[in-house]
Parts: sequence; structure tokens; C-alpha cells
Amino acid sequence: MSFNVMIVDDSNAMRAVIKKIISMSGFKMDKCLNAGNGKEALDILAHEWVDVIISDINMPEMNGLELLAKLKQDDLYQEIPVILISTEGSDERMQKAFAGGAQGFIKKPFLPEELRKKLYEIIGVSNDGEYTEDKTNADDLDF
Amino acid sequence: MMANTQKIKQTLMISIFEVFEKMFYVFLEPVGKTDWDRQSVASIQFTGPMNGRIRAFFSKGITDVMAQNMLNIDESEITEKLREDCLKESLNMICGNFLRNFDSSKVFDLSLPVCEPVSDENTGGPIESSEQNLLLDFTSGKGMLGIRCTISDIE
Repeated sequence: MSFNVMIVDDSNAMRAVIKKIISMSGFKMDKCLNAGNGKEALDILAHEWVDVIISDINMPEMNGLELLAKLKQDDLYQEIPVILISTEGSDERMQKAFAGGAQGFIKKPFLPEELRKKLYEIIGVSNDGEYTEDKTNADDLDF
Repeated sequence: MMANTQKIKQTLMISIFEVFEKMFYVFLEPVGKTDWDRQSVASIQFTGPMNGRIRAFFSKGITDVMAQNMLNIDESEITEKLREDCLKESLNMICGNFLRNFDSSKVFDLSLPVCEPVSDENTGGPIESSEQNLLLDFTSGKGMLGIRCTISDIE
């Protein structure tokens, strides 16, 4: 079973890293959509379905917590699981994130295994467990 | 105040090591050398129970290694924009990690990191470390990293 993921982060490099981790973790990723902030994410969601959203918090225009709030207010999007990956991991922010409906909170810097584990918990399936070599292509970086 | 400065310095160093080892697979060694060729500068500010700014200085060698290791790409694929992105992200993580390690019960707000042109103003030549102005330099074998942390109000 393949799935669509959206990665929301104002850092192109971080988006590429997250995409690479997901690719190498054995998940069958159908689409990987990228957004630079919460507003872009909502614009993309208007015409694309995703199965999970991985989002930073500290972004311009609309931050990750604001995006989370918008998603949970919308009947169409409220069931999409959201994993926050952020440097801002104070106890209070994490509590706020989980109270707001986030299903995961990973603090930067993080090991690939942390993200894999959280995705397994949320998505629940992977492929046969075969890992494929995925050398990130510069074209993937959207520069 | 002295004990606080020591705690800030130790926490900052641990945070820097963690970021570079986990995200960039770069192992740093503290050095006393402060006079080296700074190619790039990134800056971030934080506010909260403690306000301040962290500036990070990079040599060209270390920025290339950071981009290559983080993204698993060849040297030929590194662009200036990509390099800048890696530097800003590294500083974002250093600052956030430092503040969280310093006191996870407190909420800090971070600015968006920016790259600055290297100038006398932000490199400032030899700088004396003081209680408000921490200066840390590291070597990685491939290049140099310098961190200047300026703290202005501590509650």
C-alpha cells in the first residue's frame, strides 16, 4: 500500500533529508509534496490528498502550530495525521502541539530512526521491508 | 553570573556537537584559534527568559562537507543556495537545541535564521570572551566553525 506525504519546512535541505529518510525506510511513497510554510501547505491540500503531514514549526507566513490548528478545524483535513519536527521542543510547546492534535513531535536534530519509528506507528505498514538505495538527486532539491 | 556563563558555554558546546554529529556527520574539536578565514556568516536571535543572538561562522571547506553529508550529494551538485540553506538550518538547530537543553521548561521564540555578508562588524577581529559574549571555535579536519553567542538579559 503506497501513501502520499506532505513535507512542510522552509528549508529545502531539510525537506530533502526527510524525503530521503522516508524513501530509505521501506515505505511505498506514491507522492511527496513539498511546501515552504503552512499557507502553501493548505493551498496544496486544496487539490491534493495526503496521508500524513510532516511539518516544521518555525516558518514564515504560517507556522506549524497555526497549520495544525487550521487542519483540525476542517472536517476534510482533521483526520490527517501530523508529525511536527522542530527545534522548538520546550515542554510547553510539545504539550501545546499534542493538545492541538499532533500525533508526533520529533526534536531537531534527530536520527533517521526516530522519524521511521514514528511513521511506522502512524502509517502502520511498510513494503516487504526491502530498503532501496536512494541517492538524493540534486533535481529533487527544487533549487 | 559566572556559574550561569559556564552553564551556557557547556550547554552550547554540547548542543553544537549534537547537531553536527547527528545531522551532518561532522565531528568537531574545540580549538583556541580565533584567527581564520571566515567565508560565511549566519545569524539567529532568540527572545524569552533570556534574550540573545547566535552568529555562526563557517569556512568554505566545512560548508561543502555539511551539504554533502546532509544530502548525500556530490561536491559538483552543491550550489550557493544549497550551501546557505544548510548553514541557516544548522544554526536554527544549534539555537533551538541549546535553548531546550538549557531549560526545557521555558519557552523561547527564535527568529528565522539569516545569512549575512562577512564584514568587520560581524567578525570584529579578535574578540574577548566575556560573560555576555561567548566565542567558541572548532575544527573538523575539513574546515572551521566559529560560534559567537551574545546574551543580553537573563531573568
